[in-house]
Amino acid sequence: MLERINYYWRLFGTGLSFFVFGAAGVLFWGMLFPLFERFLGTGIEKKRRSRFLMNRVFRIYMNFMRSIGILDYEVHGAERLDAAGRLIVANHPCLLDIVFLISHIKNATCIVKPALIANPFMRIPINAMGYIYAEDPEVVMNHCVEELREGGSLIVFPEGTRTTPGKPIKFQRGAAAIALRAGAKILPITIDCSPTTLTKQEKWYQIPQKKFTLSLHVGDDIELSPIPEDAERSIETRRVTRQLENYFIEQLARHGKF
Amino acid sequence: MKTQEEIFNTLKKIMSEMFELAADDIVPNANLKDDLDIDSIDAVDLMVRLRDITGKRINPEDFKNARTIQDVVDTVYRINAA
Repeated sequence: MLERINYYWRLFGTGLSFFVFGAAGVLFWGMLFPLFERFLGTGIEKKRRSRFLMNRVFRIYMNFMRSIGILDYEVHGAERLDAAGRLIVANHPCLLDIVFLISHIKNATCIVKPALIANPFMRIPINAMGYIYAEDPEVVMNHCVEELREGGSLIVFPEGTRTTPGKPIKFQRGAAAIALRAGAKILPITIDCSPTTLTKQEKWYQIPQKKFTLSLHVGDDIELSPIPEDAERSIETRRVTRQLENYFIEQLARHGKF
Repeated sequence: MKTQEEIFNTLKKIMSEMFELAADDIVPNANLKDDLDIDSIDAVDLMVRLRDITGKRINPEDFKNARTIQDVVDTVYRINAA
């Protein structure tokens, strides 16, 4: 009986959370933010302040979901999260990963689908945060390098989409290519979501049998050796991608519960 | 590097060096993305290399519609002849 009640409460809470995300997003970023945006300064300073604001808003949102009892979260190694100019590489088990990460990183940026710019409620915050979008891979690459050199924390999910539970990790090579070109350190973060929920295959109402727990396991910096003069960049990119894949396979075997 | 065959052989050589591919897998009808796992960043690197070899201006747009090795050969052939 109690279990039943809890299930329906969490179902309602999940729906409410989706609604709050959309409604508060439109209200805050679409209507309020443009009113005080000008007081945030210009250039890099404005970008940082906007990102810090996003960090606070997402933290409140995570805490809201925790307080209504649909999820719990934990962070291991939080002290390493705010190091400047890191390429943050993470696996991507659930829809909330980016929200969870940004809620704990003060100067976070990411790459977004160019299609999102068509939506004015998305365009305003995306431009204020300086999130990266472009059709052309070279342009994306240059923005990423510039962002890392400025000291931003650039979050990338090298799987390109959410992880399919039970399937082996396969990375695209963009993350390694960015790190090599920028000469940036990679901060690997293993995300665990158990029981699994909000995957690419599930609808929002297919909630787990019990409250789920999201965990961040922040790894140690991975420092890449500079590419030797005579080496092919494309070969190095492949090597670093394999190195990252192996790291995550090992970490998931340790932290993952599937 | 004038004939289609010469272009193909050059391409085979540089692609096997650049992308850890077996030369035997680089055949005219091989799909760049699905068969050879070439991504957009690789394509840019390949273009830079082709530019060095041919001495011609090669732009990303030229390869926009290239799906197979043969498409790349055709494109390089066309640019070379121009």
